[in-house]
Amino acid sequence: MTSGDLFLQQLINGLNLGAMYSLLALGFTLVYGIMELINFSHFNVFMVGCFIALGVLKLMGMDGQAVILTGLPLIGVLLVTFLITMFSSGMIGVGIERLLLRPLRAVTGPAAMILTIGVSYILFNVILIGIGGDTRNFANPLPTVTWNIGGAVLRLRDVLIWGITVILMLGLTYFVQFTKLGKGMRATAQDPEAARMMGVEVDNVVGLSFFIGSALAGASGLIFGLYYNYAKVDMGFSAGLRAFTAAVLGGIGNVPGAMLGGVLIGLIEASSSQLIGQLWADVVIFSILVIVLVFRPAGLLGRQAPNKS
Amino acid sequence: MASAIITLINRPFAHWSQEKRQLWATVLLAAAFAIYPLLTDDDANIDTIANAMSYATLALGLNIVVGFAGLLDLGYAAFFAIGAYYYGIFTAYQVMPPWSEAWAPLAFLGLVEKINQGGPDLVHFTMSFWLALPTGALVAGFFGVLFGAPTLRLRGDYLAIVTLGFGEIVPILARNMESVTNGAAGLNGVKGPTLPAIKAIGFGGYSFGVDATPYYYVGMGLVALLIFSSIRLRDSRIGRAWMAIREDETAASAMGINLRNFKLLAFAIGASFSGFTGVFFVSKLQVATPEMFNFSVSSMLIVMVVLGGMGSVWGVVLGAGLLQLLQTWILPQTTNVLHDIGHAINSDMLVAADLVQWTQMFFGIIIVVMMLFRRDGLIPATRAQPKLEMEEQHADVKRGGFVNVDRIEKWNPGTGNALEIKDVTVRFGGLVALNKVNLTIPAGGVVAVIGPNGSGKSTLFNAITGLVTAEGSIKFEGMELIGLRPDEVLQKGVARTFQNIRLFPKLTVLENVLIGEHCRLKTLPFGAIFRPPSARAEEQGALRKALDIIGLFGNRLTPRANHTVSGLSYANRRRVEISRALASRPRILLLDEPTAGMNPNETLELAEQIAELNAMGLTILIIEHKLDVVTRLAQSVTVLDHGDVIAQGSADEVQRNEEVLTAYLGRAHRAKIEAQDAAAAKEKANG
Amino acid sequence: MAESDILLDFKGINTYYGDLHALKDVSYTIKRGEIIALLGGNACGKSTTMKTIMGVVKPATGTLTFDGENILGLTPAQRVMRGIAPVLEARRLFPRMTVYENLEMGAYTRKKGPEYDQDLERVYSLFPRVKERRNQISGTLSGGEQQMVAIGRALMARPRLLCMDEPSMGLSPLFVEMVFDIIKEINKQGTTIFMVEQNASMALSIAHRGYVLQTGVVVLQGDARDLEANPLIREAYLGEMKVDADE
Repeated sequence: MTSGDLFLQQLINGLNLGAMYSLLALGFTLVYGIMELINFSHFNVFMVGCFIALGVLKLMGMDGQAVILTGLPLIGVLLVTFLITMFSSGMIGVGIERLLLRPLRAVTGPAAMILTIGVSYILFNVILIGIGGDTRNFANPLPTVTWNIGGAVLRLRDVLIWGITVILMLGLTYFVQFTKLGKGMRATAQDPEAARMMGVEVDNVVGLSFFIGSALAGASGLIFGLYYNYAKVDMGFSAGLRAFTAAVLGGIGNVPGAMLGGVLIGLIEASSSQLIGQLWADVVIFSILVIVLVFRPAGLLGRQAPNKS
Repeated sequence: MASAIITLINRPFAHWSQEKRQLWATVLLAAAFAIYPLLTDDDANIDTIANAMSYATLALGLNIVVGFAGLLDLGYAAFFAIGAYYYGIFTAYQVMPPWSEAWAPLAFLGLVEKINQGGPDLVHFTMSFWLALPTGALVAGFFGVLFGAPTLRLRGDYLAIVTLGFGEIVPILARNMESVTNGAAGLNGVKGPTLPAIKAIGFGGYSFGVDATPYYYVGMGLVALLIFSSIRLRDSRIGRAWMAIREDETAASAMGINLRNFKLLAFAIGASFSGFTGVFFVSKLQVATPEMFNFSVSSMLIVMVVLGGMGSVWGVVLGAGLLQLLQTWILPQTTNVLHDIGHAINSDMLVAADLVQWTQMFFGIIIVVMMLFRRDGLIPATRAQPKLEMEEQHADVKRGGFVNVDRIEKWNPGTGNALEIKDVTVRFGGLVALNKVNLTIPAGGVVAVIGPNGSGKSTLFNAITGLVTAEGSIKFEGMELIGLRPDEVLQKGVARTFQNIRLFPKLTVLENVLIGEHCRLKTLPFGAIFRPPSARAEEQGALRKALDIIGLFGNRLTPRANHTVSGLSYANRRRVEISRALASRPRILLLDEPTAGMNPNETLELAEQIAELNAMGLTILIIEHKLDVVTRLAQSVTVLDHGDVIAQGSADEVQRNEEVLTAYLGRAHRAKIEAQDAAAAKEKANG
Repeated sequence: MAESDILLDFKGINTYYGDLHALKDVSYTIKRGEIIALLGGNACGKSTTMKTIMGVVKPATGTLTFDGENILGLTPAQRVMRGIAPVLEARRLFPRMTVYENLEMGAYTRKKGPEYDQDLERVYSLFPRVKERRNQISGTLSGGEQQMVAIGRALMARPRLLCMDEPSMGLSPLFVEMVFDIIKEINKQGTTIFMVEQNASMALSIAHRGYVLQTGVVVLQGDARDLEANPLIREAYLGEMKVDADE
């Protein structure tokens, strides 16, 4: 492969990873923007979402690469899987917020954040104990359609992932910019007390942000499964930390920032893995996290410097 | 129910003092632990407890960082790893440079040895365990400073993420730097401790083998050392400074605590505790692998601290013990019981049950339950408040100033100007909060600053004390204050109170006041832990001084000296805040609406007390909007409006000043007042 | 006064922040069609009054009825739907939303439709500047312009009672005059106004009646003309008033 081809292939891989990290980062940043809460359970909702998707596909008869679909049936299966996965993940998020975080709304300090660490543990272990710690095969019903661009390979899977991600991002942007609830969410993020006095039911807004955020985490999990073709109980931590770095890089609390950050981190990971190996790629990414927080805490697109409480 | 049992056990000893009871309880506990290995044959149990001791020391170290100083560290295991690998590298057979005569002196000291594995001669590091303990602590502490210096100023949740990142990078580096750490396979052949031979008493030396008992005793020593150090630190100037930072950073800084230095100190000390635990842990296991130091270890430590009680030394030890008990005894035993039941009632499910798998699940549940229902932990750090007697509860308003004034040293204000504020401008983005403000405060004087809402009064105080950046010049007794940090400003002798009272809520009245003295005391960690006579004398002196100061307020504060300030009335909290400021022995006191929220009688009482402070020689700058207070106290009044000085003069002059009236009441009002005054004068003239 | 004349009856309210007694047995009545001014110096309880009416702060004792209905148990959103809309202290627009979106937020509790369009037109005609800048990010407007948007935002709720918290704060004298003229106009068009203000003379010049607060106690009340002429107002503001405190 020529270096041009290599570059192109990295671009393709990077955009796939970027898609996954963007969605995960978006979910995370939505909640942070409204509640200023770092939700540690988010990346395990991602993992649970992946397993839900795996289960749904299995139920529909998809198994490994035994069943290949095309055209309308493919779209149908994917659509159903996405809807169910996103809805269930969203409900898990709402459950966490309503039952566990709501009572702590008035408490200052790190109590809520520490609680999300606990929830994260619980989610992890529910899957570990209930399903097992081994790697599970994720069904791949996609036909192997590829296009060659020079020496680089573009798969149907890649196009599908980008397409889904773009649709979700557009949907989210539309919701937040143009719908009443979405504007209520934005208002709450900017001034919760004023929003309350305009008649916004802040409780509902918070619940909604958790729903959407967790649903996006679930979608991201499904994309992980489609891309890597496996699901494993410990997949959340690594992907989560990257998504977190993405959110911080773009500007935490900032929606376009999360999208941008996700893509950047995806590209950085793809090229680092190629150039310096997977393990060092991890070091690079965590270093980015530390460097951004130390030197430019507001991120690329953000406004607020999180230095003062 | 636990407290009922404790009360029952206490009954025969009820006449003993609190300290005596605690001391004996500790002695009994220590004795029990000391005897245990001699009473049992089960090496596995001893081994488990020795491991638990490691985790207890880790939890104690984390408690200093998270519990005392309030710095949320989610990657604490990184320092554990650093200590462990430090010792591992210097005793295992991984890093072996070629031998040359240059190494001979180190061989003489016993730090290295020449070995041959069928090739050229190599250097094998043979660092002594006992040397590695303190040096490992130092190395880890050094890395604590390295990590902390750029990151400790970040806000709590961001700090958590950054430390999480560090906590991840270290094991990854360990896995990657294979030449040094042998990668994922880990360092084998880490040497256990040896006791050197002491010919004088005929002791032939002893090498720790696989038997757990000697490790148990070393572990016990380490735990005891750390418990002792933690408690000593907690009850010292250092611990108070950390808790002040935890409760309210801004107020802590304004009370003279150098935030950066103390945060680094907490982080470094915590790291060093972790480092030397790493040395111990690895000497016992005789291997060091990256998996031993990942996020699950860091988060387990967080669970221990949360369970036991953040900031509570014994709580954290209990938490560590309970979690280890859960993991190594309760769950396996319960599993066995389930198996037996399963066999008995022929249930396949029960036979196959394995509760040990559920360990982490329990950790998660513990965190959630503790955060929802008992955030202070099993043994909360704040002690119970003694109840007040009837007379102590009710305090009459006292007129005539302070009580026991002679206990307090007077001030000599000197001559000239105490404070010279020249052309001070403060901007917040596009908004100009203060516009070229000029103000002079004579030494020993009382100046009041008044003005409508939003006129910049508090901003002026913030500019003087370094909480906001300002242009211009603010000279205190000739020294320029602009550019100084708030703690530096306090050191120079400028103390303040806040409009919305910023006390340290979980600390007692005395602790709050003692923090005011922080910058005038000198005890360092060494002194805090070992308490040489000079440190003890300093602490006694500080305590006496604090009691004298709160004694000024009669019996309002003294009976409540050991009460947490969050339970005090608003007026009493205000008095504590003033006491705290006085404790720093300032030469000028900035009071921001001190009588806010007080009824007219309390207001008068406080006004007289402030007048008395001034009579004792303290220069006063006061923001007030109650004009009777201003009239009574101030020699000169400055009026601010929208960041500009619009009037200056005596209280009387200022009240009649047209611009002031306009600022407060609106344009049209002035004319009416003038008309009325004219009419009244006319009537008087007519008789 | 006839019972049906009273729109808002704030009676015997005691509010505490911790043990700080912010409002001490305070009562106001606001009749339909009036402009009522609540005056006082710093930290006297004006803001707390506003927050109590809007439902952000709960009183310990007392009653609050709006058009005969007890509203103490209602959430802020419910009170907006009943017809009480706030113009907040220092405007508090949503800084990263456009002017139009802020106006829209004012009508959050309403459905879009012909009435909404009518109200939008009314706001635009009262504030031509606002119409000009309707697509501008509101954080970039000047203080005076923001105040107009804030009032417009409240009007979009089609309120019967408009609660204004220090409308003149931070505004240049020119804008202050303009804002008060508009308040008079809005009142003429039928909206009852309850205004908390520090600028006593401007407020009294357009109000029907007024109350003066000092450290949580109503120390003066009456017709606006009488209050304007009363020299005791100055003392109340400057905190000199000798109050018969029973503490």
